[in-house]
Amino acid sequence: MAEVLLEVKNLKKYFNTPNGKLHAVDDVSFAIERGKTLGIVGESGCGKSTTGRVILRLLEATDGEIIYEGKNIRDLNANQMRDLRKELQIIFQDPFSSLDPRMTVSEIIEEPIKLNKLIPDKTKRFERVLELMDLVGLSRRMINTYPHELDGGRRQRIGIARALSLNTKFIVCDEPVSALDVSIQAQILNLMNELQQKLGLTYIFITHDLSVVNHFSDDIAVMYLGKLIEKASAEQLFENPVHPYTKALLSAIPRPSLDRKMEKIILKGEITSPINPEPVCRFANRCNFAEDVCREKEPALDEIAPGHFVACHLFKG
Amino acid sequence: MSENVLDIKDLIIQYHTEEGIVEAVNGININLNRGKTLGLVGETGAGKTTTALSIMRLLQSPPGKVMQGNIALEGKDLLSLTEKELEKVRGGLVSMIFQDPMTALNPVINVGDQIAEAILIHQKVTQDEAKVKAKEMLEMVGIPGARMEEYPHQFSGGMKQRVIIAIALSCSPKLLIADEPTTALDVTIQAQVLELMKELKVKFNMAMIMITHDLGVVAEVCDDVAIMYAGRIVEQGSLEDIFRTTKHPYTEGLFNSIPNIDDRKSDLIPIKGLMSDPYNLPEGCSFCDRCNYAMSICKTQKPEKVHFSDTHFTECHLYSENQEFKLKG
Repeated sequence: MAEVLLEVKNLKKYFNTPNGKLHAVDDVSFAIERGKTLGIVGESGCGKSTTGRVILRLLEATDGEIIYEGKNIRDLNANQMRDLRKELQIIFQDPFSSLDPRMTVSEIIEEPIKLNKLIPDKTKRFERVLELMDLVGLSRRMINTYPHELDGGRRQRIGIARALSLNTKFIVCDEPVSALDVSIQAQILNLMNELQQKLGLTYIFITHDLSVVNHFSDDIAVMYLGKLIEKASAEQLFENPVHPYTKALLSAIPRPSLDRKMEKIILKGEITSPINPEPVCRFANRCNFAEDVCREKEPALDEIAPGHFVACHLFKG
Repeated sequence: MSENVLDIKDLIIQYHTEEGIVEAVNGININLNRGKTLGLVGETGAGKTTTALSIMRLLQSPPGKVMQGNIALEGKDLLSLTEKELEKVRGGLVSMIFQDPMTALNPVINVGDQIAEAILIHQKVTQDEAKVKAKEMLEMVGIPGARMEEYPHQFSGGMKQRVIIAIALSCSPKLLIADEPTTALDVTIQAQVLELMKELKVKFNMAMIMITHDLGVVAEVCDDVAIMYAGRIVEQGSLEDIFRTTKHPYTEGLFNSIPNIDDRKSDLIPIKGLMSDPYNLPEGCSFCDRCNYAMSICKTQKPEKVHFSDTHFTECHLYSENQEFKLKG
């Protein structure tokens, strides 16, 4: 079995709001092996982005452990954390707002190298910038352009180059292709795949787009209202989804094909409030199969088959 | 009664800006019958929304300018109407649903009044009658009538989009233009809204233009599909035509760049390069720089329409001499 790079145990992130505690991430546990991709899917407000940010300590967790290469990174002090950040990076959804409009492409890519004093020599640093641009497929003639002169796909390439500029091992990709047109989306996904092979990167891939996540991930975790409700390998999850929410989610994807029309499961209602949730199944009020027990207590995450975890009262091993 | 609802002929729209002229729409024809849905598909900058706005006569001018062409809605020449006459057409004959339900509603007016407003403008009814009708509309889109007095911020994204659909349909328009109506919504909510729109289209026997970049949505709700690229319709046909006998290399490229959900190991084949600069469209075929099949003629000459059947045509040089040409797939 491959080595686990990152493990999250009972991770919790609550936000204080005037109306009570908002349970954005509630008792989530999972592990990612080195060189693999874990996809986190769910609808807006399910806590997938918060999970990504808490793991990088861009937000402080309320409770739980984040174990990276055997160390709980929540115990690190500011200095130790700064060192570690060279290995942990993030790529944001919106390549339009995540780049400084007043910096040129080379300055943007150079900045993290300079700040971390990785390559003190200016000429060598410049060489490294060119190398990174080649790596992500940015033409060298763009070196002095500004972000507003570039399209979304190129801007996202800058974001990727920047994330790779240090000794990166692990990247949280937060909806990296959602803002891009399909033809460009495919270019970026292929690039990210290639880089993973070449550099042995480990990804957490956060998205709401299930066809993208299926294409890209080894394992997939489905979240609903702060809870991890199902986790399995991508094949298993798509072939044999178990949780009623996962099933509905998969059936709801509009398929670009005239064959094999899937029976659509149309869910009633919408996501309920994550503020002070009752200790019951959070999906129960939209679930077509809910029984009394679902409205009485919270289901635990059980392993129903090797590597296939589900939190649902209807499935007990 | 004529079955034809919308007839667009040789429409050319340009934006005259300080940096130059943007050729947004370059001679398109659309013919739409009652009860039919046309999917307008293409990437950012293809001219989809510009086309839609020109039907509503909402094109901002300047810089937008209709250079040539005709738009007839139920036989009415839309381009020659006065602003006053247009008020009757907008919301009455033709309605539009926008992408972002969060910004399309007025935050300080309750949703019931917003629906009633549209009814009051177009129908000879009293305030009270309009309210009753508004409540009916709200219930029709699946929101309890009791929530009429509530404000937009009290509704979720999916429900706001339902309210907008209720407003758009409140005066039984002949044509509904939906500009990416579900792009901002989550998948399970998207499924609900698409289901609702299909249902209502049949109920009102409307024609519909569905603007989207998502071929999955197209497969679900459209009868016909027009693929737009750089302001031209490069391929048009029935769902079957487009999905089963794809002709244009750009259409093929679109299909190849979407991850196949039923086969996760299939490779993504992106379309190389970027959309050509609309300030400076190439002399020949606009797609030729990105096309894997480009020939020398493509660089210099605009392709003509090639018809394969009554419904299916494409604009591509590959077929001008040999209609049997097959794409690589």
